[in-house]
Amino acid sequence: MSDTLLDVQDLRVTFGRGGREVAAVDGVSYTVYAGQTLAIVGESGSGKTVGCRAVMGLLPPSAAVTGSARFQGVQLIGLTDDQLREHRGANVAMVFQDPARSLNPTMRIGTQIAEAVRTHRRLSKAQAKEQAVELLRLVHMPLPERRCEEYPHQLSGGMRQRVMIAIALACRPRLLIADEATTALDVTTQAQIMELLLELQAELGMALMLISHDLGLAASYADEVIVMYAGRIVEQAPAARLFEQVRMPYTQALFEAIPRLERPAHTPLPVIGGRPPDASSRLQGCSFAPRCRRAADDCRAAAPPLAEHEPGHRWACWHPVPGGPDAD
Amino acid sequence: MAVAEELRPGAALTRRVVSSPGARLAGRRLLAAIPVLWGVTFLTFVVMNQLPGDAAQELLGANATPAEVHQLEVQLHLNEPFWVRYGTWFGGLFHGDLGTSLASGQNVTAILGQRLPVTAELLIYAFAASIVFAVGLAVLAARKPNGLADRFSMVVSMIGLSVAPYVLALVLVYVFAVRLHWFPAIGYTSLTQDPAANLRSLTLPAAAIAFPLFAVYTRLLRADIVEQMQREDYIVTARAKGVPPWRVLVRHALPNSLFGLITLVALNLGALVGAVAIIEPIFSLPGVGSILISSINNHDVPVVEGIVVVFAVVVVLANLLADVLYATLDPRIRYERSAS
Amino acid sequence: MSAPLPELLTPAPAQAARPGGRAEGRARALNLRIWLPAGFLIVLFCACFFWPLVYPVPSPVGGSILNSGLPPLSPGHIFGTDPVGNDIFSRILHGGQVSFEVGLSVTAIGLVLGGALGVTAAYWGGATDTIISRVLDVLIAFPALVLALVIAEGLGPSELHVIWALAVFSIPAFGRIARGATLTLREQTFILAARLSGTRGSRIILRHIIPNIMPQLLTFSLLGIGVVMILEGALSFLGLGIPLPEPSWGSMIAQGQQTISASPDLVLIPSAFLFATVVALNVLGDALRERWA
Repeated sequence: MSDTLLDVQDLRVTFGRGGREVAAVDGVSYTVYAGQTLAIVGESGSGKTVGCRAVMGLLPPSAAVTGSARFQGVQLIGLTDDQLREHRGANVAMVFQDPARSLNPTMRIGTQIAEAVRTHRRLSKAQAKEQAVELLRLVHMPLPERRCEEYPHQLSGGMRQRVMIAIALACRPRLLIADEATTALDVTTQAQIMELLLELQAELGMALMLISHDLGLAASYADEVIVMYAGRIVEQAPAARLFEQVRMPYTQALFEAIPRLERPAHTPLPVIGGRPPDASSRLQGCSFAPRCRRAADDCRAAAPPLAEHEPGHRWACWHPVPGGPDAD
Repeated sequence: MAVAEELRPGAALTRRVVSSPGARLAGRRLLAAIPVLWGVTFLTFVVMNQLPGDAAQELLGANATPAEVHQLEVQLHLNEPFWVRYGTWFGGLFHGDLGTSLASGQNVTAILGQRLPVTAELLIYAFAASIVFAVGLAVLAARKPNGLADRFSMVVSMIGLSVAPYVLALVLVYVFAVRLHWFPAIGYTSLTQDPAANLRSLTLPAAAIAFPLFAVYTRLLRADIVEQMQREDYIVTARAKGVPPWRVLVRHALPNSLFGLITLVALNLGALVGAVAIIEPIFSLPGVGSILISSINNHDVPVVEGIVVVFAVVVVLANLLADVLYATLDPRIRYERSAS
Repeated sequence: MSAPLPELLTPAPAQAARPGGRAEGRARALNLRIWLPAGFLIVLFCACFFWPLVYPVPSPVGGSILNSGLPPLSPGHIFGTDPVGNDIFSRILHGGQVSFEVGLSVTAIGLVLGGALGVTAAYWGGATDTIISRVLDVLIAFPALVLALVIAEGLGPSELHVIWALAVFSIPAFGRIARGATLTLREQTFILAARLSGTRGSRIILRHIIPNIMPQLLTFSLLGIGVVMILEGALSFLGLGIPLPEPSWGSMIAQGQQTISASPDLVLIPSAFLFATVVALNVLGDALRERWA
C-alpha cells in the first residue's frame, strides 16, 4: 500500500459574512496516497477550491477552518503562517486557474520561477536562474532562456500555464494540486497540459490532485474521483468504477450532461435543472433533493450520510441509482 | 546591409526607443499639452489685465499725479493695446526672454534664476520626504489591515488632510523654533554656503508643505496595496510558493500599486505654486513664492507670467515623467508585442 | 495650496475582510463617525450664528486698547483679547460665521453650476463634452491659489468677492466629479431602457441620473467645504480675503503670527477651530461615503 501523503478528516470551512455564518465546506474527509491522481469534481460553490486552499492556509482571514489535514503525519490546520510556509511550495504546490492573472504582470518569468526556487533553497541568483531554465525545459517550453527574460503578457495561455507548473515544481513537491488548471484553456491546449501533468507525475513520483468541474476530464485522467456538492462529498470511487457503476443521481446527471458524439444530432443536452443551494441557507435534508429526479420524502427530511456501501465506493444517497452500466 | 546593422547596435536601439510606443505617447502628450500651456498663460494675461489700475499706479502710489502716472506708463509700454503687449511678451518667449519686471526693472529671467533654485530645493525636499514617508507608512499599514499601524496611518492621514499648510507652518514654528530651538524660524542659507544650515533652514517649510501631501499619498497607496493584496491572483500564487509576507508585500504588491501614486504626484505639482506662495513668506525664504504675491499686488505682469510659465512647464514635464515611469514599471505598456 | 485632483482627494480606504460577527461593532463605529462630527458641526454652527443673538458678547471689533493682550480665561473674555483689545471668543464666533458662509456658498455654487455642467457634458457627449471638458481642464490645471489671489486682488477684499474667487474652482471640481459619475451611470441598462422607451433627455437627467449621483456629490461637497474653508483662511491670511478689522479665522492666524512667541494662543485658538471643523467635515464625508457605497 502506498504511503499516505495527505489525510483530511472532517474539514469544515465557514465564512462570516455580515454576521451570518456560511459553510463553504461542510465536513469533508479523504486521503491522498503517494503517486496517486485524485480528482475532486463539483459545480462552482461546491467547496472544492475552498477545501484545498484551506489545507494550504491560503484563505482570507475571514475564513474559519476546523478539522484535520495531516501531510505525512504533520497537522496543517492551526499552524501559523510562518510554519505553513515551510510546506507551501516545498511539499505541497498549487497550480491555479487563470494564468493570466496568476502571474505577476510586472515581473519577468525567470524571476518568478527563480523566486520559487530560492524561497526554499539557498542558491545564488545565477544558480536559481539556471534552475529556472531547467524547469522550463522540464515543462517542454521552447527557447527557455529567452522565455526567462520575457513578461507574462508576452506568452500565450498554454505557455503561461506551463510557467505556473514550472513554478509549482520548483522544489519537487510531493503533492501537486491543480485547481481548475485547464479550465481557462482551449481544448487542444487542455489536453497538452494534462498530458504534461501526468508525465511529470510519473517522472517525479508526485501525487496529483485535480480540481475541476469537468467530470469527463476527471474520469479520463484520475485514478480516484470524488464528487462534491454543496460543501460535502456525495460520491467517491475509483474512476473506472464510477464510470460503470455511478450511484449518486447527481453524479449520473453530471455524466449525462457531457456532450456525446453518439447521440443523434440536435439532441437537447440534458442539463440539471435548478441551481446549487445558496451556501448561506443549508437545507435540512439532502442538499441535492430539490433538483433530484429520484428525490422522495425521506430525502428532504434527513441528509444521507456518506458511507462505503460497496468496497472502495462511497456514496451519500437514500435512493441511489441501481447497479449496472449507466444509462446511455 | 544586415552586417552593417549589426555593427551599429546603438543606432538600432535609438530607433527602437524613438519609435517605441513610449516615445510616441510622450510626443502626443507633449503636443496635447501645448494648447493647455498656452491657455494658462493667456488666461493669466487676461486676468492680470482686467485688474483695475495698473503697475504704474501701484508703483507710484496714491499721491502721484496723473501726468506722472502717464509718463511711467509710456515708459513701461503699458499704454499699448492688449494684443500688442501680449504679442510682445509671447514673442519674447521664443527667445527665452521673459521680459522685465515692471516693479524692479530687473530682467525676469534673472529674477527667476535667482529665486527658482530656492523654491526648487524646497519642493524637492518636500516631495522626497512626503513620498518616502508615505511609501513607508503605507507598506506598514497594508501589512496588517485594520491593525495598529493601519489605524495610526488613517489617523495621521486624516490630520494631514484637514490641516491648512499655513496653520501647520505656524504651529511648527512655534513648537520647533520658538520653543525647542531646533530649527530657525526664518531665514535661508544657501546650499553652497553651508549644507547643514541650508537643510535646517528648509526643514520646517518643507515639512509644512510635505505633511498634507504625505497624508494623501499614504491614503491612496495604502488603499491600492490592500486592494492588490486582497484581490489579485498573483498574490495568491506568491503565497502558495511559500514567499514570506514582507516580500510578497514589497516585491509583488507594491510595484503594482504605484500607478495611482505617480498620477497623483504629477497632478499635484501645479497646485504647489499656491502652497509655496504662502509658505515662503512665512519663513522669509527668497524663492519665487515670496515675490508672487507682491508681484500680483504690484500688477507686475511679466513676473507673474514668468512664474506661471515656469510652473506650467514643470507640470507638463512632470506628467511626461509620470508616463515614462508607467512604462518603466509596467512592461505591458513598454512592449507592444502581443501574446505570440 | 495643495488642492489635489478632486476624485483622488480622499480615496475611500479599502475595508479589509474581517471575521464575521464583528459587523455590529463596525456598524456602531460607523455610526459614531457619522453622528459625532455631525453633532459637532451642528453645535458649532449654532454657536457661531445664534450665540451672539442670545447671549451678549463683546463686539468683535472696536475693542478698547485698554483691554489689549489679555490672556485666556480672563474675566469677561474666555479666550482673552488680541493686541488691539478685541475679544477673541467673539471674533472666533464671528469668524466662524464667515467660514460657514463662504464654505457653504462656494460649495453650493459649485454643486449646482458645476454639477449641471458636468452632467450636461457627460450626458450629451460629443462636441458639448469636448468643449466643456477642455475648459474645465484648463481651470483645474491653473494653480488654484494664484487665480483666487488675482481675482480677490482685482475685485478688492470682501466676503462676496472671496466667494466668487473660490467658486471659480469649485465649479470645475464639481464638474469633473459630476461628469465622471454621469459617464459611468449613462452606460447602465436602466438608463438605456429609459432612453429606448422614448423618455426625454432632460427627464432622464432629472429623474434618474441626478438622484443616483447625489450621494457621491454630497460626500464630495462635505470634503469640499473643508477645502474651501482652508482656502478662505489662506486668502484672509494673505490679506486678500475678508477685510480687516472684520474677523476671519485666517486673518486672526495671520495677526497672531506676529506675536507667536509671546502669545501663541492668538494663533493656536483660531487654528484649533479651523482644524477641528475641517476634520469633522472630512470624517463625516468619509463615513457617509462608506455608508452610501
